[in-house]
Amino acid sequence: MSYTLIVAEVRRGVFEERNLDSLGLGALLGAQSVLLVPDGAYQVPDKLVDVVLKVKAAEEAYLNPMNMGKILEAVFAARGKPDHVLFTQSSSGTESAAYAAGLFGMPVITDVSGYDRDAGVFLKSYYSDKVFGQFKAAGAPAVLTVRSGSFREFAAEKAAAAAAEAIEGAAAVEARTFVEYVEEEKTDIDITKAEFLLSVGRGIGNQDEVAGYEELAGALKAVLSGSRPVIDKMWLPKARQVGTSGKTVKPKVYLAMGISGAFQHIAGMKDSDCIIAVNKDPGAPIFQYAHYGIIGDIHKVRDKLKELAKG
Amino acid sequence: MNILVFTKRVAATQEEELRITGEGQAVDLSKVPFKVNDWDNYSVEEAVRIVDKAGGSVTAISIGDAESDEVLRRAIAMGAKDGFLVETGEALHDPFTRGELIRGFIDKEKVPFDIILTGVQSEDDQFGAVGGVLAGLMGLPYASMVIGIDAVETDHVVIRRELEGGLQEKVKVATPCVLSIQSGINEPRYVSIMGIRKASKVERKVFKADGYEKGSPKIELVKWVYPEKKGGATMLDGELADVCGQLLGILKEKGVYQ
Repeated sequence: MSYTLIVAEVRRGVFEERNLDSLGLGALLGAQSVLLVPDGAYQVPDKLVDVVLKVKAAEEAYLNPMNMGKILEAVFAARGKPDHVLFTQSSSGTESAAYAAGLFGMPVITDVSGYDRDAGVFLKSYYSDKVFGQFKAAGAPAVLTVRSGSFREFAAEKAAAAAAEAIEGAAAVEARTFVEYVEEEKTDIDITKAEFLLSVGRGIGNQDEVAGYEELAGALKAVLSGSRPVIDKMWLPKARQVGTSGKTVKPKVYLAMGISGAFQHIAGMKDSDCIIAVNKDPGAPIFQYAHYGIIGDIHKVRDKLKELAKG
Repeated sequence: MNILVFTKRVAATQEEELRITGEGQAVDLSKVPFKVNDWDNYSVEEAVRIVDKAGGSVTAISIGDAESDEVLRRAIAMGAKDGFLVETGEALHDPFTRGELIRGFIDKEKVPFDIILTGVQSEDDQFGAVGGVLAGLMGLPYASMVIGIDAVETDHVVIRRELEGGLQEKVKVATPCVLSIQSGINEPRYVSIMGIRKASKVERKVFKADGYEKGSPKIELVKWVYPEKKGGATMLDGELADVCGQLLGILKEKGVYQ
């Protein structure tokens, strides 16, 4: 019987919310949906899938791509190969998906954000969402990683709770082992508490320009934050990063300057009450999420705003 | 430690408006400048730092057309000893095909290594999958989103992986292994034009990609499309002072600025 294997992402006892998007895509694909979860007290939405398949594995082992390879091998042996294997688009989801694709010789499409059932094509972002490619997988099972927020509305409640199945895990591999979690250092500034964030991105060009934006933030009484490229270059401290690998923020006003709007950034700020974007590229994806937009030179806008704010 | 580090020449599209040509056949990159993939820049830097501490040498490898020599010269200027170009004119969208080509090259040319570094993703296709596919194909231990390398020992490394929301996990990985490096792991050194000119004197080896075994692509690009419009923003138009005045008006209306 054909089925879709949905590999749940769990972390520190929590069934991650973005799994709902995998369940949604699973529903669109139409085959029997089988949700793989490690043994443990996870809050599994068992009405949204046909089968919950529990594997005897500790959470850290389950999240290790090499162990996941062994687990998939056991699942394929027990149930036959699925048509699709879905992972979350996340640090661990993408890691295991790519490794499994190589291990079993499966096609892989990552960061899937759309599916056209009639054409059988999956939508995948290119160039930070400026364009998308429509991809077809040649052969099954195909491995997909699912973008958070893309499919959850399609996850449909079924009449009955899922059937329960179980599988023995394999012995944990020694070639890669979990040591410990490392928490982020606590800092004075908490950008998640700010009502007004002025956020800067790659478009500011170079480090010397940062001071000008700090001045503008001061003049507007905003808190300064940034997108990944600015943090990577160490122009602003890590605690000021907005996005999936940084902070998720919901200020009253989010003023984004020189941020084109890579999805990882959008995911961290899209629920702000009011988003204002300034960018020189009219095709920047951020304008799709912003309430107000200005197309123009961000430094000129900065300097004029400073001048007007003082006056 | 012999370290192989992969580096790719990519279109720098962050600040560019992109056009799809024809019925979705191609994305017009003719007016877009090219540069080294950000993630690979961090990977090359990390490779050089590892051998600075642990000894050994760094070999930079690029898969692409002849123009990719540019990113090899750059890697050599940063401290790589050798530069190998696996030359192909084909756009290899499929990360599986890339992984197979790399495995075929390493096997056939018997390139020695202890650690293979790739960037987490390339800026253009953002698959983020080549390192993982390669590790799976070669049966090597793997870790991605590597945001810190804390220890390099004779038979293992201790690394930190970036998870979501500022959390990291520390992981021990046996060598030989494949690691995919996350941006921000280090501060890549500045590369001067003089440095690149000097690096040009180091011979880069060119290998033809058709000499290595790879299967047919496992995924097919059907067409390119623009993102779905989501309503979009109300655009503020006019002279600079006028536009900025409107912006301040919105801030006042939202109650965050008096």
